[in-house]
Amino acid sequence: MNGTKNVLEIRDVAVHFGGRSGLLSGTGPVVKAVNGVDLRIGHAETVALVGESGCGKSTLSNTIVGLQAPASGSVRINGEEVVGAGKKKLNDIRRKVQMIFQDPALSLDPRSTVGATIAEPMIVRGVASGKELKARVATLLQQVGLRAEHADRYPHQFSGGQRQRIVIARALALEPDLVICDEPVSALDVSVRAQILNLLVALQKRTGVSYLFVSHDLGVVRHICDRVVVMYLGRFVEMADRDTFFANPKHPYTKALMSAVPEADPVVQRSKERLILSGELPSPANIPSGCAFHTRCPLATEICSRERPELTPRADGARVACHHA
Amino acid sequence: MHTALPALGVRLRRVPLSVAFVSIIFLMVVLLAIFAPWIAPADPNKQTLLARLKPPGFELRGVTYWLGTDDLGRDLLSRTIHGAGVSLSVAVLSVVVSTLVGVTLGMVAGWFRGKIEIIVMRLVDIMMSIPAILLAVLTVAVLGPGFLNLVLVLGLTRWPRYTRVAYAQTLQISNLPFIKASELAGAGAARILFHHVLPNIAGPILIVATAEFGLMILMEAGLSFLGLGIQPPAASWGSIMSVGRQYLERAWWIVAFPGTCLFLLVFSVNVLGDWLRDQFDPRSRSR
Repeated sequence: MNGTKNVLEIRDVAVHFGGRSGLLSGTGPVVKAVNGVDLRIGHAETVALVGESGCGKSTLSNTIVGLQAPASGSVRINGEEVVGAGKKKLNDIRRKVQMIFQDPALSLDPRSTVGATIAEPMIVRGVASGKELKARVATLLQQVGLRAEHADRYPHQFSGGQRQRIVIARALALEPDLVICDEPVSALDVSVRAQILNLLVALQKRTGVSYLFVSHDLGVVRHICDRVVVMYLGRFVEMADRDTFFANPKHPYTKALMSAVPEADPVVQRSKERLILSGELPSPANIPSGCAFHTRCPLATEICSRERPELTPRADGARVACHHA
Repeated sequence: MHTALPALGVRLRRVPLSVAFVSIIFLMVVLLAIFAPWIAPADPNKQTLLARLKPPGFELRGVTYWLGTDDLGRDLLSRTIHGAGVSLSVAVLSVVVSTLVGVTLGMVAGWFRGKIEIIVMRLVDIMMSIPAILLAVLTVAVLGPGFLNLVLVLGLTRWPRYTRVAYAQTLQISNLPFIKASELAGAGAARILFHHVLPNIAGPILIVATAEFGLMILMEAGLSFLGLGIQPPAASWGSIMSVGRQYLERAWWIVAFPGTCLFLLVFSVNVLGDWLRDQFDPRSRSR
């Protein structure tokens, strides 16, 4: 793989729900879950996607893996267009994208042995069978820090952290180029979070896989990501390299998110300036005019409700969508 | 990948007493059904008019009628033994037919949604709103009575119950992340339904099936009573009891013995079903 080619390239992707008329329900409002976003992820890169619940993070990741069709836009994986591709081709492309889910208790079939679960992608794709399959399952288990004989056990016999390791092993079975991690550690105990994160980093070093890391935990994001993207109501509001992002957040929404991260040192925590947003996240079925954030923004002026700010580059390389920051 | 078999041996040694007890009853009924011609002391269809409606223990010309006789002087013990096979096979086969039809339709409706869901689930509503016995009577009237038709009629009128359960469970399961993971792995609908959905919905379906099992025996009795099921002189527990109903005041034993057998069989199937459901669930196994 050459370095200039992007593993993932999405352009102007929008995902809408509803709006169809039912038999009795009439025409419902169109929910614009994702509303024109662009994103590139390079080889062996980790990009964090940050935002509060309901901002469209999960919809976007479902669209990337092909479980949700976008209303418009383009999704390219390794340069190949996913949107509108035929079923067979889509399957071939998708092979390179896998997913790790939030709750490891629900992402493993309780009736399948761990070995059968990890082997499934390889069986379905006809990658390996018989002895070779068994050997590959054993290797994958060892790669994620489990033992080969764990293959015969059932998911309920493992702890949460171990289950997440199994999920990771399954995601890596087809040697993907991109793994979407949907809050992979938020359901885990704090004590095992670091282990799982370190495992993800180590696997990336070994295989060169890229991660799209969906999270709302900025502490975790700081630990493993190269770049950060902040999403608000279906749009990106800030994009920056990790260090720039944490050293100098610009968008008022980003600042509010940052100020909500608790500090380990109580002295720092007490002296910390809290930026508390008023109000709730508006409904994606009824997005405010202009800048979607203006209803809750401390900096908002008259222009914000009229004109939507575009993502514009700043001196330090960050790109921010705000009239005032 | 599956090493459930040696583990099964270990678990069998820890079978609860109640389950062991009902398994023995169930096995006995099965053995009676299979070896009926050798076990039964007399010809089940031989009529002895001198021995009509005689109580248990009645003796006539050196022949002892241990469970008494029916209205035509036939040996009730022999008829009950022969009837076991008919009742058991009608119940088992019709449960199998309705499970196959019902679960398949339910899973398909719950997985594919859309038009097929509407068609199947409305059909279920229609089927459930027609009295089962009426539907059965109509179908038998068209197809004619007989063992095979009886099985088909019972099987094809009872599937909506399974469909409802399979449908609801499939809807619930298909939203779980592990199904999504299978889709991402590239698994097709057939693989997901058989490998992931079916094993996870088998528990509730097994419960429905064991409950239906008892009902099937009773339905068979009802249809036989109406003359639409097993044709005389062949015996089934249902037909023996429906005859005995007319003589309940004079000859309680005609209803009592097949009834007791029926009760024991249905009871043991229900207990066994509960236990089996737990055994199928890997989470209930010890570590």
